Amino acid sequence: MSNVITASHLTLAYENGAKEVIKDASFSIKKGEFVFITGPSGSGKSTLLKALYGKIKPTEGNLVVGGLDLANVRQSKLQELRTHLGIIFQDYKLVNEWTVAKNVVLPLMIAGYSVDVQNTQAHRLLKHVRLAEHADKFPLELSGGEQQRVGVARALAKNPVVILADEPTGNLDDYSSNVIWDLMENACQQLETTVLVVTHKIPTIFSLPYRHFIIESKGVYEVH
Amino acid sequence: MKFIKNHLMFILPLMAILLGIEFYLVFDRTTDSYEKGLKEGYSMLVVTKKPMKLEALQSLNKHISRSEKIERKNIVSKIAKGVSHSSSKEILASLPYFYNVGLDSYLQTSVLEQIKTDLEADPNVKKVETFGSSYSSAYRLFSFIKFTLKLFIGFMAVVSFFLIIKQMEIWKYTHRERMQVMEIFGAPVILRSGILFKVAIVDAFFATILTSAVFLYVKFQWAAHSGIDMMMQNKEELFRLTDIAVLLGAALLIVIIAVYSVVFSNRGVQE
Ligand SMILES: Nc1ncnc2c1ncn2[C@@H]1O[C@H](COP(=O)(O)OP(=O)(O)OP(=O)(O)O)[C@@H](O)[C@H]1O
Ligand SMILES: [Mg+2]
Repeated sequence: MSNVITASHLTLAYENGAKEVIKDASFSIKKGEFVFITGPSGSGKSTLLKALYGKIKPTEGNLVVGGLDLANVRQSKLQELRTHLGIIFQDYKLVNEWTVAKNVVLPLMIAGYSVDVQNTQAHRLLKHVRLAEHADKFPLELSGGEQQRVGVARALAKNPVVILADEPTGNLDDYSSNVIWDLMENACQQLETTVLVVTHKIPTIFSLPYRHFIIESKGVYEVH
Repeated sequence: MKFIKNHLMFILPLMAILLGIEFYLVFDRTTDSYEKGLKEGYSMLVVTKKPMKLEALQSLNKHISRSEKIERKNIVSKIAKGVSHSSSKEILASLPYFYNVGLDSYLQTSVLEQIKTDLEADPNVKKVETFGSSYSSAYRLFSFIKFTLKLFIGFMAVVSFFLIIKQMEIWKYTHRERMQVMEIFGAPVILRSGILFKVAIVDAFFATILTSAVFLYVKFQWAAHSGIDMMMQNKEELFRLTDIAVLLGAALLIVIIAVYSVVFSNRGVQE
């Protein structure tokens, strides 16, 4: 099977290279794999995800996602790549002036689906994350955990090729967490979606085979 | 209230720029006819020993565009009232010939001096009279007013542009979150900035309509009753329908530049 993500001698840094977060990391992830990423706070987990969706560029080495070399990619290509990613943010990043339903179907809106399709999909997605009754509310009227689930629903909206999830269950109780893990397992199993999840706590009940990366002292290591 | 204020903060400076543009257009047109009036109203007086044709005068200086002979009989009849017929004939024979000479454009005093020297170089020319002093002061006053007005319009445009940029920064702040999220999910610029464009283009139309309304009012209501000759004679120059297109074009251009500056400065901001 082909690699969806390949990093070789990857270095990521802020402040024009002055603050290195990840140094000389090499790994690859195949299509349909499920990957957990753990590591201490501030070790660079979110930074790695940012690099994977092209928000920050590698300062050294190579990072290839979906066949695109992110070190020197054209803006239009990056834009296209992003429509195939389902990103879940640690701080949710919902649009506060939009209703929950509108937030959820943002990827469908960008892909140009009709309002009808958007509406039915919004309903289906919100039901999955148990928020159907909140469709017409605004994000700031929801609790932290509810907002997080809106973010999860949005990420799954267009059946992405790759899911990049940053602490998707950080604010959730065990029951809600399991709902989210189920959704991701299903996507991975049924649609061969590649899933990368940053988490503090790998779920104890998890039915799929998975890989586990630890980020520590600027390195990315796989636990076998 | 906040909605109206937000729009006004954009429409008013935009209108200031449009008013400036329209003032400029109107001023150029009205003073153009004023300039023409000055030019045509002005002429040099040339006194010659023998009759002289226009071509002969033009061969001396190419700025001369027309010449008009002043009937000597009229002069004689004025100065020789009550003089006998034969003596008035004598006076007529001894009189030189007079020509009112017109120039092709509005000229500097130094050029007028040159024309005078050129003409006087011909032995047939007895005397050339120019109205240099009044010509020159009118011209200086005219160009001073023109310069001041342009300076003022330019200044107003610069100040207004800064106000627009200021308002843009507010927009940038209010729309930033949404545009960044949309960008992360791969939305093209057009989609990301769609709402901004809608708002801004509506504002551009409003500003154009309001500015046009001001000038149409001046043209049809105020100018006719103003009692100012210049205004009443040049009423047609005050506002033309094609000006609406010029104003709308300018407004849309400013708006598009403004929106794109917001969109592109929002891009790639580290969160
Ligand atoms: N925009 C930024 N500019 C400069 N430094 C940053 C920026 N974002 C993050 N950092 C730094 O980079 C390091 C890694 O941050 P990152 O957010 O990737 O950590 P993390 O592993 O996701 O932590 P957590 O588990 O707390 O979310 C931290 O030291 C952080 O201070
Ligand atoms: Mg993080």
